[in-house]
Amino acid sequence: MAESAPPFTVGMVGAGSIARVHLSSWLSLGVRVLVYAPHDPAPLLSEVGGGEAVGSLDELLSRVDAVDVVTPTTSHAEVVRAAAAAGRHVLCEKPFALTSAEAEGMIAACADAGVQLYPAHVVRYFPEYVTMHDAVTAGKIGEIAVQRFTRAGSRPVREWYLDDALSGGIVIDQSIHDLDFARWNAGEVATVFARDTGSDPAVPVRSCQVILTHTSGAISYVNGTWARPGTKFRTTFQIAGTGGLLQHDSAEHRPLVVDGGRADEAGTGLLPDISLGESPYLTEIREFHAAFTRNEPTRVTADDGLAAVRIAEAAAESIRTGQPVRLAAGTTTAPTPAEEATR
Amino acid sequence: MKIAMMSFAHLHAVSYIRALKQLDGVEVIASDPDHSSRPEGEIGGPSLAAELGVDYYDDYATLLAQRPDGVIICSENAKHRELTELAAAAGAHVMSEKPIATSTADARAMIEACRKADRYLMVAYPVRFSSAFAATKAAYDAGSLGQVLAVTGTNNGRIPLDARSWFVDPELAGGGSLADHTVHVADLLDSLFDGTRAAEVYASVNKILHADKVEVETGGLVSIRYANGVLATIDCSWSKPPNYPTWGGLTLQLVGTGGIADMDAFNSRVDGFSELDRKSLWLAYGRDADAQLVGEFVSAIREGRPPQPDGEAGLRSMEIVEAAYQSVRTGAPVAIG
Repeated sequence: MAESAPPFTVGMVGAGSIARVHLSSWLSLGVRVLVYAPHDPAPLLSEVGGGEAVGSLDELLSRVDAVDVVTPTTSHAEVVRAAAAAGRHVLCEKPFALTSAEAEGMIAACADAGVQLYPAHVVRYFPEYVTMHDAVTAGKIGEIAVQRFTRAGSRPVREWYLDDALSGGIVIDQSIHDLDFARWNAGEVATVFARDTGSDPAVPVRSCQVILTHTSGAISYVNGTWARPGTKFRTTFQIAGTGGLLQHDSAEHRPLVVDGGRADEAGTGLLPDISLGESPYLTEIREFHAAFTRNEPTRVTADDGLAAVRIAEAAAESIRTGQPVRLAAGTTTAPTPAEEATR
Repeated sequence: MKIAMMSFAHLHAVSYIRALKQLDGVEVIASDPDHSSRPEGEIGGPSLAAELGVDYYDDYATLLAQRPDGVIICSENAKHRELTELAAAAGAHVMSEKPIATSTADARAMIEACRKADRYLMVAYPVRFSSAFAATKAAYDAGSLGQVLAVTGTNNGRIPLDARSWFVDPELAGGGSLADHTVHVADLLDSLFDGTRAAEVYASVNKILHADKVEVETGGLVSIRYANGVLATIDCSWSKPPNYPTWGGLTLQLVGTGGIADMDAFNSRVDGFSELDRKSLWLAYGRDADAQLVGEFVSAIREGRPPQPDGEAGLRSMEIVEAAYQSVRTGAPVAIG
């Protein structure tokens, strides 16, 4: 980039845990980042070592090329609409919203304003998931029959996560990653059945179990768990197809394990993961940066973000009613892996 | 002590006979009258009995006339009831291969037949006797998991087509992978939860794997809410590829307020790769669950105490299968009880 060219500027709204990884990713791409948050973002900026705080959302919107929305879920729609009204492209943390109606409104606002909108479904950028999806798309395991996805970790500490009215609960906040991925692999979802151990904050563990029946006939199991503090974050998947099997367990596929000879504070005897390779968040942010600056295609679209919310919404309804929920035909519009392969 | 094997239709008969022959003071006899009607190439009958070194009888009446103390039924699932009734009437204790039957009505009839004859009825669930499950149950019973709220179980295997074709016959087997595999995991939960019944079952199945070879479902997910509030999902699919290095496996994850337990029933093994065969090696070691299972049956008869898992436990896992099939037909969750 020539020194005289004004740097691409992103306005980040929010200063929580996802903001930290997004901020460092934007900065490493040479992007200028302004940050607005109702609470003082100064600690975040000094921790990451970059970015500039601004005093209001309006000021931020007037000075940036694109907006990265990393606020709690219930305020996504308001910020996205404001960004669209200001003519700014938008990256919005998942889930887009707690309801599909709100997500539809966000998409319409961005379409009307002629700006791009993307959901940050970062699991589509995790290398083990990308490798698996590429193998599926290449036909290495034939037609998908049965998929399993599990995601478990310590229960979030920020209180808004534990209030279903604010976070939507574990299905829409956490398992939406895997609902999105199940659909990316196996296509449209026809039926959703879900159960959940409940949202009592006094119970230190919460687990949801979702069964998807895809229009292809494939079936998927998605399991999310918020467990005791200190529980090590772990994801697994197994994809069974007519031509073979793909599986991964983050607890087993670890390129480096260091045993420090002492249990950690949680008594689990585990040390933090050593991450090798590029952060999936950087991979993700780089792709959206390329879309914003050069109109390049992305692997996840606003319609995917809406479809994921619809599936999660159906799961929540199933949990509430105890009945399976059928999604109307055309409710989700993902290309099948076969269609994708021919693109 | 005389134990009679009724039918070699289920090839567990082979491992059970081998295990029985290791026990002191146990004489093993067998009959496999349907062997001649089996498809070509499926072993059985007097030649298999000779290979195993057990006395063979041409029909069940002659076999039961030998007054066995106990019989082990390794017939096709749909015939468990008829053979149980024959055996109990002849005064023998019964161990039936899993699932107990192909309907809860048949399962109840088997329990009643054995009750009337004052004989024990056991159902062959070997994973209950694995060292992995023993350790899991010990941890659960000791309370180290706190209150268990949610369970994910998997019992995935290769499609059981190679040795015995009846496994994919909807009438003889009582269904496909859902009937074959759900019960193994359900029985472990029956043991952990001390016979707590399922309250509601939902299931979704498909036939994408081996679609051209079988009529029955090959993939399935079963969601169970137990009467104690525990949520469980079981993946019962025949989803291990035909050339997978082993027949399959069984896992169980218990999510509790005190922690998460992950059990892999077949993780005691040496992994390797054979260049000669150009395939992976899975070499199991440790406790032989089949031997423990037949040992429980023989010991219970000797000691005059009811063996576990009993017919009631078999009925409870059968209830889940029956409700799951009903859910598949209706598309809705099915209440039990």
